[in-house]
Amino acid sequence: MSDETPDREADKALAGEYALGLLPPDEAAAFEARLATDPVLRAVYADWAEDLARLTDRIEPVAPPPRVFGQIEARLFGKGRSTGRTWLSWIMGAMAAAVVVVAVGFGTGVLDRGPTPPGSPAYVAEIAAEDRSLVVAAAYDAGQGRLFIDRQRGAPREGRALELWLIAGEDAPVSLGVLPAEAQADLTVPTALRPRLDGAVLAISDEPPGGSPTGTATGDILAVGEITNL
Amino acid sequence: MATRDDIENWLGQIALGDRASFSALYSATSAKLFGVILRVLDNRAEAEEVLQEVYMRIWRHAGRYRVNGLSPMTWLITIARNAAVDRKRRRVAIPADMSAIDSESDSGPGPEQRAIAASENARLSDCMDELDEGHAEAVRRAYLDGETYAELASRFDVPLNTMRTWLRRSLLKLRECLSR
Repeated sequence: MSDETPDREADKALAGEYALGLLPPDEAAAFEARLATDPVLRAVYADWAEDLARLTDRIEPVAPPPRVFGQIEARLFGKGRSTGRTWLSWIMGAMAAAVVVVAVGFGTGVLDRGPTPPGSPAYVAEIAAEDRSLVVAAAYDAGQGRLFIDRQRGAPREGRALELWLIAGEDAPVSLGVLPAEAQADLTVPTALRPRLDGAVLAISDEPPGGSPTGTATGDILAVGEITNL
Repeated sequence: MATRDDIENWLGQIALGDRASFSALYSATSAKLFGVILRVLDNRAEAEEVLQEVYMRIWRHAGRYRVNGLSPMTWLITIARNAAVDRKRRRVAIPADMSAIDSESDSGPGPEQRAIAASENARLSDCMDELDEGHAEAVRRAYLDGETYAELASRFDVPLNTMRTWLRRSLLKLRECLSR
């Protein structure tokens, strides 16, 4: 059952077996590896997934007990219920203006071509804001500790600066620096902070030129986003 | 009833870390996914745990739902179904003995299977009907019960390789019919 030959007929059966969860682990892994690079195979798999999902059409919906959603939220967001929660709710309450999403490529080679955005769309952060007032993409090169920033829309207010903050776990926000005037820039993440990026939150605040004089955000939180580990 | 666009919008917002959209998605889809998970596991406590895992996965992977080109609801159902099947297989794996398959006596969903078969969407149902005797049931058992080739071979009392050959042939037939 080796799939070295790109036999599309055989692939149809193979994709069906994969969608049904029938492949032995090694074959499933090999299929997934091909899936990642073969759009035709992805389409074949998608057909199966769509059709087989129809097998659930008449399964009666069953409302889960109300407590379950609270448990999910606690598991996802409840880690810093004490102080971390405070920072988060502070941010969540203050923002609503914009959202920044940060794609972080841990590992090497993601951004190894100097201060340019990653070439592969797989690593480009998809950025959006409710009102599109501030749109910032970021990608992290773990090898160099370099955070590539791409301010795609929005700018500091007249006579003000945008400052980037890292909020890891329950800790208070730590400044990663003021965003340079250029739309695209590299920020070096201090060595001590690098291990803390995974699962952390980034926020951008409105500050005086040169950044917050106090070490904590003093102006409005303009954007916030969770770091996604690619 | 949430539309496809609603679900897509929520997933898009969830990918950006929007918890309100996550809550909205949960409200709109959790009963469906819980039903699917319960159908596979037939155990409420386990199903609740799996439902939690499923929505945690959705929160974390919402940004990648488009990768395989699935419709948003299919993406959600697939995550739920696969998570439930994984759980069921871990459960079965504990005895680490093929004979354990014979002892899964608590769920004998014969009539239930038939009821489901009767109410599937018509195109799928018609195509399933064209398969050889028992093969449609094998497909349903694999998808809805997470049965493996070993379990199906034991159920149909044929060697595993024969089971696989049969099923692959039936899948091609099914695909051909569904593509008409």
